[in-house]
Amino acid sequence: MAKKKILACMMLICLCMFTAGCWDRRELQERNFVLAVAIDTADAGMKPGVNPEQEPEVKRVETFVQPHGTKRYRLSLQLLKLGKNGDGKDKSKTYVISNTGDSMFEMARDMLGQSSKSLWFEHVQVIIISEAVLRQTGLGEILDFFKRDSEMRSRMRVYVTPGEARPFLEYIPPNKEAGGMYLSNMINLHVKNLHVPGKRTELASIIQYLDSNSNLVMNRIEMADKVVKLGGLVLFKKDKFIGYVDEYAVAGMKYIFGSEKSAIVTIPCPDHPDHQVIFELFRHDTRLRPHVDGDTIYFTLDINMYGNIGELQGDIELENTMDSQYVDKLESAFADEIKRTILYSMQISQNQMKVDILNLFASKLKAYEPDTWAKVKEQWEEIYPDIPLVISVNVSIRNIGSHR
Amino acid sequence: MANLEAKTYMSTLQLMIVTITTCIGAQIMLSPRALIASLGQAAWISVIIGGVIFYIAACLMLKLGKQYPDETLVEYAPRLFGPLGGSVIVLWFNLLFFLQIIEIFSGVGKIITFFMFDRTPPEVVILGLLVVCTYCALQDWGTILRVQQFMFFVAYSMLTVVWLASMLNFQPENMLPLWTANGKNVISGGVSTWPMYSGYECVLLLLPLVYRQANFAKLAKIMGGAFGCMTLFFLMIIIIIIGVLTVENAKSIPYPALNVIRSVELPGTFIERLENYLLLTWIPVVFDTLAVMMFFMGQVCMRYYGYVDHRPWVLMLVPIVYVCSILLLDDQQVYDTISKYTLWAGLGFSFAVVPLSLILSWRQKRKAGARCG
Amino acid sequence: MLLAGIWRLTLGVWYKRLLGCILITTISLLLSGCWDRSELEERHFVLAVAIDRGDQGLGPEQGKDVPRVETFVQPHGDKRYRLSLQILDMMPSEKDAGGSKGEEVTYVISNTGESMFEMLRDMLGQSDQSLWFEHMQTIIISEAAARQGGLQPIIDLFRRQAEMRWLIKTLITPGEARPFLEYKLPSGEPSGIFLANSLQLYKKNTHVPTWRTDIGDLAKSIDNKSRVLMARIELVDNVVKIGGLGLFKKDKFVGYVDEYATQGGKFILGIEKSAIITAECPEHPGKIIAFELFRHNTKLTPHLDGENIYYTLDIAMRGNLGEIQCGRQHDTMDAGVIHKIEELVAEEVKRNVLYAVHANQNLQVDAIDFGAKLKAHQPLMWEKIKDRWEDEVFPNVSLLVSVNVVIENIGEHK
Repeated sequence: MAKKKILACMMLICLCMFTAGCWDRRELQERNFVLAVAIDTADAGMKPGVNPEQEPEVKRVETFVQPHGTKRYRLSLQLLKLGKNGDGKDKSKTYVISNTGDSMFEMARDMLGQSSKSLWFEHVQVIIISEAVLRQTGLGEILDFFKRDSEMRSRMRVYVTPGEARPFLEYIPPNKEAGGMYLSNMINLHVKNLHVPGKRTELASIIQYLDSNSNLVMNRIEMADKVVKLGGLVLFKKDKFIGYVDEYAVAGMKYIFGSEKSAIVTIPCPDHPDHQVIFELFRHDTRLRPHVDGDTIYFTLDINMYGNIGELQGDIELENTMDSQYVDKLESAFADEIKRTILYSMQISQNQMKVDILNLFASKLKAYEPDTWAKVKEQWEEIYPDIPLVISVNVSIRNIGSHR
Repeated sequence: MANLEAKTYMSTLQLMIVTITTCIGAQIMLSPRALIASLGQAAWISVIIGGVIFYIAACLMLKLGKQYPDETLVEYAPRLFGPLGGSVIVLWFNLLFFLQIIEIFSGVGKIITFFMFDRTPPEVVILGLLVVCTYCALQDWGTILRVQQFMFFVAYSMLTVVWLASMLNFQPENMLPLWTANGKNVISGGVSTWPMYSGYECVLLLLPLVYRQANFAKLAKIMGGAFGCMTLFFLMIIIIIIGVLTVENAKSIPYPALNVIRSVELPGTFIERLENYLLLTWIPVVFDTLAVMMFFMGQVCMRYYGYVDHRPWVLMLVPIVYVCSILLLDDQQVYDTISKYTLWAGLGFSFAVVPLSLILSWRQKRKAGARCG
Repeated sequence: MLLAGIWRLTLGVWYKRLLGCILITTISLLLSGCWDRSELEERHFVLAVAIDRGDQGLGPEQGKDVPRVETFVQPHGDKRYRLSLQILDMMPSEKDAGGSKGEEVTYVISNTGESMFEMLRDMLGQSDQSLWFEHMQTIIISEAAARQGGLQPIIDLFRRQAEMRWLIKTLITPGEARPFLEYKLPSGEPSGIFLANSLQLYKKNTHVPTWRTDIGDLAKSIDNKSRVLMARIELVDNVVKIGGLGLFKKDKFVGYVDEYATQGGKFILGIEKSAIITAECPEHPGKIIAFELFRHNTKLTPHLDGENIYYTLDIAMRGNLGEIQCGRQHDTMDAGVIHKIEELVAEEVKRNVLYAVHANQNLQVDAIDFGAKLKAHQPLMWEKIKDRWEDEVFPNVSLLVSVNVVIENIGEHK
């Protein structure tokens, strides 16, 4: 009996030791948190402050002898400094390491030669890709590493920049936050800011759209002299970079998608066009529906907006907002402006870029008129630029503000 | 819920308190702009004139009520005006309360969402307030009377204290000149203060509850006390609004009372944005007006249709009130038209229907007396 | 009633209790209003706002590419104004030993456009949290921006939005407005708060006109169609100074009035709590006598003489002898000497007051608001002339001044 007890105890102890999984442990201090990733072309994105004569040397030292392929990309990683700063002069919480090569994974592994701890990607907040890279290759190729590796988060934000991507990693935000966190928090304001697309632009949605062969959309970020600005949209056809769309058209697109929580609509005063009057949107109901009439397909967009008068720059003696008829005039003027914005963005999407953004119209057609969709889905790209959109907007001004 | 507190008698002092709490409601925030815009510097005179005019109307109602002790308007109106006329009068009476209720709900919804909760839709605010007022209106008169008395001593005093903080910014010179020489305007302005004073029609429903021993003179004195208090309260509001903002500024601001309290800076402290406190103390004042008006509507329906319980009528009212308040939110023109009709309905009731009923009742009594010999 | 019937008949006691609990829980969750909350760390506090003309107001060391990146494609209008915001840094970096404290307590972001609201919303593209204006202290407007389109387009946002306060101070500057936001004080205080607190000292400093120059008062003056006043501020080489008045008439910028005239204006209105009045000693030219005012009684009344309007100003001042540079030559214990000094000071006050009135009359702006007094005391006359008040009538109005000064103490030493 005693023998059995001893045997049982020994088995229990062995089981505990084996199943605790301690050989797989990795302490927090032994990891390097990667906060942000920047992808440039191989000849761009050098470390700032390097003597131009030294540049080729630096490049050679950073990189490695590659068995296959050429040096196409430069991958830069922003790493978090976990401890206190040594001398306190350098105010940033992060630093940047970089490498050139062809395969993202290979570059990332080779960068361990520049790092004292293993790189941990589970906290990557943002990926910034420069336009030059996207003109070279399709998006799917570049993002394959990030979609495949199990360490990557699906909520990573992806930005595109016309210039170089690396300076964004070097940028120290004014409130001294870690750069990656700052850049990814900026996109949270897209619900208030009509000029930032924001919705469905993180990695998970991008992968989803790539899989379903839809046309992607991404945010544009730009930097000049310590000023970082997020605004405007980057348009893709399937996964090929096509071009940028300005903020006015982004506003129109957000109206069609119904993804804004609050918006500002500006118009010149109906009676005195050299001043502006502004409407602040609080709530809206948006409905986009396809209709099929024999052989013609057309879409209807119905928008109901509720909000306040945000600002009236004219002389308030002349613009009497206490008069309910004047307010009615303003309401129809705002509705016209919203219509115009939407038509402008449709014109860009249909005639200029000839791209069905995020395949919105296609998916609506597929959802509501599946038979018609089955017939036209092969030629959707050709049919799309000719499809009319019938818009009806109704604006209701609830309050005129603290002062008339 | 069988433990409703029905009440069969109340004292004249309680009648005064109920009148004051019913009449002083949401209109102290909603009406001043229109009053100052039409009358300018002489707005305070119109408030006093309005007080006098509506005191006379209330006395007429007291006289009428005294003709029929133990009976409310709903019971003796058909006797006076015939069955069809009686129905019209009762409907008119009910409509007075209804129109005021929907105006108040919609105005309160707008003010609270603009100044306090930006992103909350006003429909939600109205729904919340409606639920609370319904719960109160479902009780019987004893409970409601206690609520009114409590509110009178607590909420009104808090509101007055917060409001008087705006005296810090008061500039007496803005009140001058005190009189702008246009007599006709002032009197018509006095009449247009009816929304502020309205609510005294409740006397027609409440008189049977007051002790029989109270004779007309005592009741008139009590009413005088109530109207005196109300006039003082409204004067305090209008004078301070004109004194702090000038007339021109008050004309351009949708809710001038809130801008007045905003301009206050408590000396030596960092406390600002007193309009939040003013709104907080204002909400109970609005609540007791609304709850008691819904109770009265329930009572009128109950008595007209011969029920014993007013509660199903209150519950039936709730969706109607909600839908109508929502409809008033969107278009300012609709709101203005409804306010105009309410004003006419109220003035018509106080100055046409009540004197007419008084005359008719005297004639009927004389005829009956002659027959009795 | 049907539901009540169902309730009573079909459900047992425990079911009713359970339903009641579920109802209470649901109502508590829905009515607590949590969807409308905004945590403090998720907001950026905007402390001050600067408005420049569209082509001015670039920050120091900013390249040419910055304006294009900062701004957005505007559907209507042009880039008329530049709006800059001073944002508080809630968690400044660790201060190094010996370094200047609070070097980076605030930072500035900026945008160009026409509508203030549109610029504001687009600036969210430069910020990672939403901007919160309830703690804004000052608005600084540059003279160029005010001359461009008048005052109303600039301040309408601040008087209409519920988030803005009544007590926001306004300042006007001859140069660019943005440098005031970049200005770093040695004490580490953010400059927005510093300016607002400095303006609060108007009671002792007669050169600062801040009585009734907040945004709420601006809105009031514009509604009353009377003049608008703003305090003037200048920044040169890291030195900031507030003094003097900027005047607006009918929404147009008219000009500045210097500190001497501002002081005179304050004497007329009676809003100073303390002032220093200097006079030159007649027997020893070049030596200054200073009087420190403690209490005063001021009354300004309009009078009508047929069609002529004139004002009388009666001032009674009480105070101490502040400084007398030729003190050894005079026996300040002697009542006669004191009396002479009192007369000197009274003359000086008179001169100051008349200087202020003439300065205003030359600009044809009623800065001291004589019109309000006329409206209050002589309303009939006001009705007749109110449309021509500032242009024709006011420049010809005369003021009769009578000042009485009493020196109560001569100080610690004679």
